[in-house]
Parts: sequence; structure tokens; C-alpha cells
Amino acid sequence: MDEPILSIRDLVVKFNLRGQILTAIRGASLDLYQGETLAIVGESGAGKSVLTKTWNGMLDPNGWVESGSIMFEGQDLAKFTTEAQWLTVRGKKIAMVFQDPMTALNPLKTVGKQIQETLELHQDIKGEAAQERTIEILSQVGISEPEMRYSQYPHEFSGGMRQRVVIAITVACNPKILICDEPTTALDVTIQAQILELIRELQVQLGTTLVYITHDLGVVANVADRVAVMYAGEIIEYGTVEEIFYDPRHPYTWALLSSLPQLGVKGEPLYSIKGTPPNLFNEIKGDAFAPRNPHALKIDFVKQPPFFQVSPTHFAKTWLLDPRAPKVEPPPVVQAMQSRYKEYAI
Amino acid sequence: MTTRKEQQAITAIEDDSLFTFAHYDPEAAERTGYSDYSYWGSTFRIFLKNKTAVFLLILMASLVFFTIIQPYLPNQKDPNKIHIDPETGYQLRNHPPDGEFWFGTNVIGQDLWARIWSGTRTSLLIAIIVGIWEVVFGIFIGAVWGYVRQLDALITEVYNVINNIPNTILLMLLAYIMRPSFKTMIIAMCLTGWLGMARFVRNQIVIIRDREYNLASRCLGTPTHRIIMKNVLPYLVSVIVMRIALSIPGTIGWEVFLTYIGLGLPLETPSLGNLLNEGRRVMMSSSLRYQLLFPALVLSVITVSFYVLGNAFADAADPRNHY
Amino acid sequence: MLKYSIRRILQSLVTVFIVITVVFLLMRLLPIEGYFTERADKLTPEQQEAILRKFGLLDPWYIQLKNFYASLLRGDLGNSIIYRPNVPVVDVLKPKIPYSFGFGIASLVLSLFVGLAMGVHMAREKGRFWDKLWTSFVVFINAVPAAVYLLFIQLYITHVTKLPILFSKDSFVSCILPTISMSLGGAAGYAMWMRRYMVDELNKDYIKLARAKGMPNKDIMVRHVMRNAFVPMAQYLPSSVLFTISGSIYIESLYSIPGMGGLLVDVIQRQDNTLVQALVLIYSVLGIFGLFLGDILMAIFDPRIRLEKEGGAR
Repeated sequence: MDEPILSIRDLVVKFNLRGQILTAIRGASLDLYQGETLAIVGESGAGKSVLTKTWNGMLDPNGWVESGSIMFEGQDLAKFTTEAQWLTVRGKKIAMVFQDPMTALNPLKTVGKQIQETLELHQDIKGEAAQERTIEILSQVGISEPEMRYSQYPHEFSGGMRQRVVIAITVACNPKILICDEPTTALDVTIQAQILELIRELQVQLGTTLVYITHDLGVVANVADRVAVMYAGEIIEYGTVEEIFYDPRHPYTWALLSSLPQLGVKGEPLYSIKGTPPNLFNEIKGDAFAPRNPHALKIDFVKQPPFFQVSPTHFAKTWLLDPRAPKVEPPPVVQAMQSRYKEYAI
Repeated sequence: MTTRKEQQAITAIEDDSLFTFAHYDPEAAERTGYSDYSYWGSTFRIFLKNKTAVFLLILMASLVFFTIIQPYLPNQKDPNKIHIDPETGYQLRNHPPDGEFWFGTNVIGQDLWARIWSGTRTSLLIAIIVGIWEVVFGIFIGAVWGYVRQLDALITEVYNVINNIPNTILLMLLAYIMRPSFKTMIIAMCLTGWLGMARFVRNQIVIIRDREYNLASRCLGTPTHRIIMKNVLPYLVSVIVMRIALSIPGTIGWEVFLTYIGLGLPLETPSLGNLLNEGRRVMMSSSLRYQLLFPALVLSVITVSFYVLGNAFADAADPRNHY
Repeated sequence: MLKYSIRRILQSLVTVFIVITVVFLLMRLLPIEGYFTERADKLTPEQQEAILRKFGLLDPWYIQLKNFYASLLRGDLGNSIIYRPNVPVVDVLKPKIPYSFGFGIASLVLSLFVGLAMGVHMAREKGRFWDKLWTSFVVFINAVPAAVYLLFIQLYITHVTKLPILFSKDSFVSCILPTISMSLGGAAGYAMWMRRYMVDELNKDYIKLARAKGMPNKDIMVRHVMRNAFVPMAQYLPSSVLFTISGSIYIESLYSIPGMGGLLVDVIQRQDNTLVQALVLIYSVLGIFGLFLGDILMAIFDPRIRLEKEGGAR
């Protein structure tokens, strides 16, 4: 396996909310490899956005990295403190696409200017050359009549087109890592497909490493090479996309997959996980998912499980993988997937 | 990715019984979501945390209380009584502050202490009356303006006309036409004061109808009065309190302005504006400056306090600041 | 854009028309003593009647209204009665306007610079010492009536710095204190507004995107935040400019500046009805005109407005 381009170890991120401390990331570890597409999935509040925000210094001012390391290009991003340091990374090396295209653009500036700003910031082109390049980029992201669109304002664009503009802004400088934070959640399904396709094309052209944050498993199945599952501020399982869909090992991942409505199956009650994620203001003892886990072992309430290896690329943080644990049958949905996999894999 | 240390820690777990199933209680899982948030509870809690605001609140409450009881305290003098020096038989003019006259006397021998508290009473009274009217009438007009669509255009035009004539001009004109007096001042300020509140209430009502959480409530069958009680009113009450608090320095300001121009209260009715004017006449001589300083001090303390109180309450009542 | 402008012009004209009529009718309520150069009790009722008739005040109100508009369109605002007997109002006003306007513009510029800079600083230092300091300043200016603190400024600052107490045409230094005094209220307002606006904007998504794409904070402040902050403010700028003509009543009288502000006070005290009427009219029309210009300015700066439907109260 090659060396990862981004390597996170035991990251702990805390926030100060009106005097109370919230631990948003409780010891996350992850590797990111060149050219791949990694999807980070989990419920709202699991910490997916916070995790990626530590990579380009976009944490809210009341948050900080308490401990751990983020190694990127030989530097530890977790130790960055000044704006000057972050400016060497932001936009140029690590770029971000946000969820809501309707508010992501300055309503009082033309679209062209907003893209051109990025070019002028990171590359040595100005004025006319920059304008030409901007128009090129506009057509690269699939916006027709780019010369006319250049001088239009954001409110003259539809949601999907605005997202294309945001993507244009981020790829204008060919960053090494592109983080897409739920880029299609706010869009129609048909536009979703177009945007995902656009991002994939750009990845092929530019060789960017993609990180998708999403709670939509459909998107994950579509785009991801590898998947990391987050719960309550930790990464509890990660592996290739086939491994996660067809052979998940963590009870939470089982629950997630079971929650997907099965197209074509009628008449059965929809599955939902009981309870809510734990309160991150409190210290959590043992496995964070234990109170909601029907397969919980007594040790889940006592000690946090470490990562157990399922394959060289597949790891899960659950005591069920310990040799001493009893054998547990995953839920029917997962079993069905597993058998289907075995059929096709052979 | 487990380290050697972790491996050891794992295998070090001796108790195999830990690897049996725990009791799964779905109800316990649901229990984490409870919240005992109360809007007014949070508002008061946050307000009370603001020490400056609490201090000023106590200060203002004491001050208002004092102005009410002051005439009944022992040894208080009549504000309009001209004091004669028993020795010379002349008026006790411009007598600096001392044990007898705590704030000294003014140019014709009246006790400044009594005059100042009487003036504060008058000014505060005007301010509170106007403030209450502003709120009552303003809300009423605003509500009608917002609900009754047929009247929307008419009231809008009326609002525009009054709004477009600068307040200064309007007040001066009204005072000029109606001749300066206690009643005139109140009427004039009431005529212009309700605009802000009405506009605000009207906007709120128009938004209320269309806000998603209210549409949702209506879809769920919530009756209109309950929507108003639970969604609109809490916000309105906090705004009302804030506006009354903020209108007091405003009204006092206008009163001072009108008095300065000569359209204020007659001299027999002391008011903070009057006292300031009187003090202004003698301010160039430093020995007499106390006649300006005392009213100015009282006025500043009152206006700043109510202003800060109003804003502090507004901040505390804003749910975005709640926790 | 054109359609929007035309619509606003028509709206303003309608409001102007209504305002002028209302003002006119209000004027009819003015005490009649204001029409006589001599004290009213010195004139016999017949003489009073004769004078009133000469002014056309005994005609039915609709005829008065018609005559009034007729003379307005001719540019005739009548003659002053008491202040400068028989001098046309226009001639009374002309020499005074430059003073008020000059001081007004100077203090407006000053208050813009100081106020906006203060507001930016307050937003940057939110919650810390400087924010609290400037906030105290703003609170003081907003809460305490101008008459009070302006007085003390004149008193104590002239004492300390030896700046002249009264304004005189030939002395430039004598302009400094009045200008600064005039700019205080505006500065406090702009500062508060700018601070609030910046705090709100800094949380918006497009600012986050600008940061994520690697824009330094300073650039973001200038090119995105402050530039956007101007737009809502633009609405009030023309009004502010126009109102400088009306002059500051306090300051002009405190420093003996022969401007328009002092004039209004004077004519009300002396009860010169034609001048009162003319001044009220001028201020009202200026006000409406200012608002109209402000709307147009907003539309130029904010492209969204041109395409939206406009309605409701101003």
C-alpha cells in the first residue's frame, strides 16, 4: 500500500459552548490515499464536518484541537495556529465544497469575480488572463454560455448551477484534497446525479483526492472507493466500499444499513435505531453506541473497544470481533447483502 | 491499527464474563433527549447574570421609588417656594449646596433639590405615559394593519406621510400650534411615537402568517389563539418591555429638545428640560455651575440606565442567546 | 431598473403631494398672531381682517389650496412676516444654507469615517476591552440627550484646549469643535450598525467559503464584508446628506453659526408663519426626496432589489 497523503492519529477536538466543554471528536484515526474517493458517513452530529474542518483550519473560533496529529505533506496540521500557516493550505492544497449552494456565494458580487478571486489568490494570473481562465473553468464545470454567465449574479443561477460555480471555485486551483460536505443534500435527485458526475469527471482530469461527507448511503455506493463510518466523534469502522456494504462488522453499521428503505419490498415496518446519540458534553465510558446496541456485551459499557482487523483494508471498533465474544448473526438485511456478495464475488 | 500497548491491554482483560450479552433496554436509549427548557426561565436567568443590568435595575427602581416618596420625607421643601434669607430679608439666590439646601438654590431662591426631584417626577411621568401609549396604541394599530388586509394600503399611506415629515418638525409644529403645556407635550409625542411599534408589530404579523413553523402549527390544527400565545406573544412581550425601556431616554431627549427651543413646559412645572435650561443660563460662572451639573447628572444617570436596561433585556430575551 | 425607478418616482410624488397638502392644512391651524407684524391687540378687528384677507386666509380652504399650489409652482414661497418683514422667503434662506450644508457635510464625512472604523474595530475585538470601551461611548451618546453632552463639550473642551467658543467666519479653528460635536451622534450610529452588521455577516456561508478558498481575513473584511455592509447603509446616505441643509439646531445655536437650524428655532419663537410654513415644506420634501434617492442607490448596489417586487411601508 502506498503512503497516505493525509494521516490522522487519535485526534481529539473540543468546543467551548457557553462555559461547557463538548468533546466533538473523541480520538479519531484515519488515513487518506492519493487519488481515492473516501466517504465519511454517520448521523448528524457524529462529527463528520468537524473532522474535516480541522484539515483546513475552519473550526469555529470556540473549538480547538486538544490532542492528536494530522500529518499532511510532512507537517502536523493539528499544530497550526496562525492564519499565515493555514493560508498555505487552504484552497491551494485542501479545498471545500459546502452543502448549501444558495448561500455559499456572495449575492452582491458577480459569479465571475468570485471565481477569478481564487485564481488571483493562488496562481500568478491577473486581469484579462484570469478572466479568460475563469470562463474556461465555467465551461469545464458544465455551465453553458460562460461569457454571459461570467458577469451575472448568483441569484440568476439555479441551485444546481450555483453548486457548479462553487465547484468551479474550488477546483480553480487544482487542490490535492477536495472535501465535499454533503454537496448534493440540498439539490434535486436528478441534479444530484449531474453534480456527482461532474465531480467524478474533474477527479479523473485533475487527479484530486476526494473526501465525501454524507449521510446518504446511496451517494456512498455511487462514488466511494473507501468508507469510514463515524459515530459520536469516533471512526468506528472503515474499509473498502464493498467490505462495508457487503460485510459490515460493527453493530452501528448494521443498524445504518438496516435503516435504508428497501426498494421493492412492501409491507414491512421500516427499521429505525432506538434512542439518540449520546450527549457529548459528558464523558463516555466504554463503547459510545452501547446503550442503543441490541447486541451489546457487558464489556461495551466498561471499556472502549480498539480497532480489530477484519482484512488488511477493513477495521472495526467493536468487541464483537474479539475472539472471546459470542458469535452474533447480523440483521436480516445485512445477511441478505452478505449472501449476495458471496454469489457475485466468486 | 492497534498498538502493542493496546493489544496487551486487550488480552489483559481477564474476566471472560464481560463477553456475554448485556441487557438491552430500548427505553433507556430514548431517555437522552429530554429538555427542560423554559423561555422565560432562560431569559431571566441570563438577564440576572448581567451584573451591570441588575445593578442598574436596582438603581432605577430605587430612584423611581424615591421620586415618589420624596415629598413625604421630613424636611423637604416646596419646589416653587422662594426662600428668603431670614437675616437680610432678601431672596436666597444662587446659594451653593450646603447642609440646608442639599443641591443649593437657583437664581430666584428656589430649592434645587426639591426642584430636581419634582422635575424628575414630571419627566418620568411624561416618558412612561408616552411609552405605554406607544405600546398599546402601536400594537393595536400594528395588529389591525397586519391582519386586516383591506386596511393595509390606507394605513401604509398614513404611516408614510407621518414618517416622511421629520419628527423634529412635527413635534415643533404640534407644540407650536397647541401651545406648550404638559398635555401638549404628551399628545405631540404620542402622535409621533406609535409609528415604530406599529410598523414592527405589523411586520411581525405578516411574517407570522407565513413563517414555516406557524404554517406547520396550522397544519397540525393548532388554533390561531394558541399560535399567538405560544409563538408570537413571548417575542412580543420581550419587545414591549424593551421598547418601553428604550422610549424613556428617547422621550426625555425630545422633552429637553422642545424645552430648549422654547416649546417646553412652563416654568412653574419643573422638568428636567426646564432645569437644564435654567442651569444653562448661569453655566459660564463656575461657582454657579452646580445648577447645571445636578440636573445633567440626574438626567444622564436615568437615560443611560434605561437604555442599558432595555438593551440588556433585549439580549436576554433573544432565544439565540439562551442555553 | 428603469421600471423600478419610475415606480419609485411616482410613489414619491404621490407622497409629496399628500404631505404638502397635509402640511398646508396644518398651517391653517397656526395661531393667527403669526401673520401680523405688530402685536395683535394693537390692531382692530377690521385691520386684522384686512391683513388676513390680503394673505388670502379668509378664502375657503380649497381656493387657498389652489392658490398655494399655484404660487409654489411659480417658486414663490411667500414673504417673511416678522423675521424679515416683506423679504421673500427664498432670499432669507439663501445666505444660511451654505453654512449648514458645509458643516453638515464635513461632520457627515467625519462621522462616517470614525463610525465605520469604530464599528469594524468593535466587531473584531468583540467581547474584549476595546469593544466594551467603544460600546460605552456609543451607549452614552445614544442615551443622553445631545443637548446635555454638547453643552459640556463646549464648556470643558474649550476650557482645556483653548479652542474658540463661538464660530466666526474668519477663523478655521473655530470650525473644529462644532464639526466634531455634530459628528458624534452619527458616528455612534454608524459604529453600532457596522458592528452588528459585521457580526451577522461574518457568520454567513459565503464568508466561510471565501475563507476556505484561502482568502486572507483582511481581504475578506474589505472585499466582501465591508463592501456588502455599505449596501443597506446606502439607503440612508442621501437622506443624511440632504438633512445637513436643515442644520443642527443645537450646535448652530451653541456656537452661533448663522445657519438654517437656528432659523427654524427663531421663526417658531417669533411666530413668523410664512417662514414656518416654508421651512416645514422644504424639510418634508427634502426628506421624501432623500428616501427616494436612497432607494435608487440601493437598487444600484444590490442587484437583487431590481428584480423583486417592492411594496409596503417605508
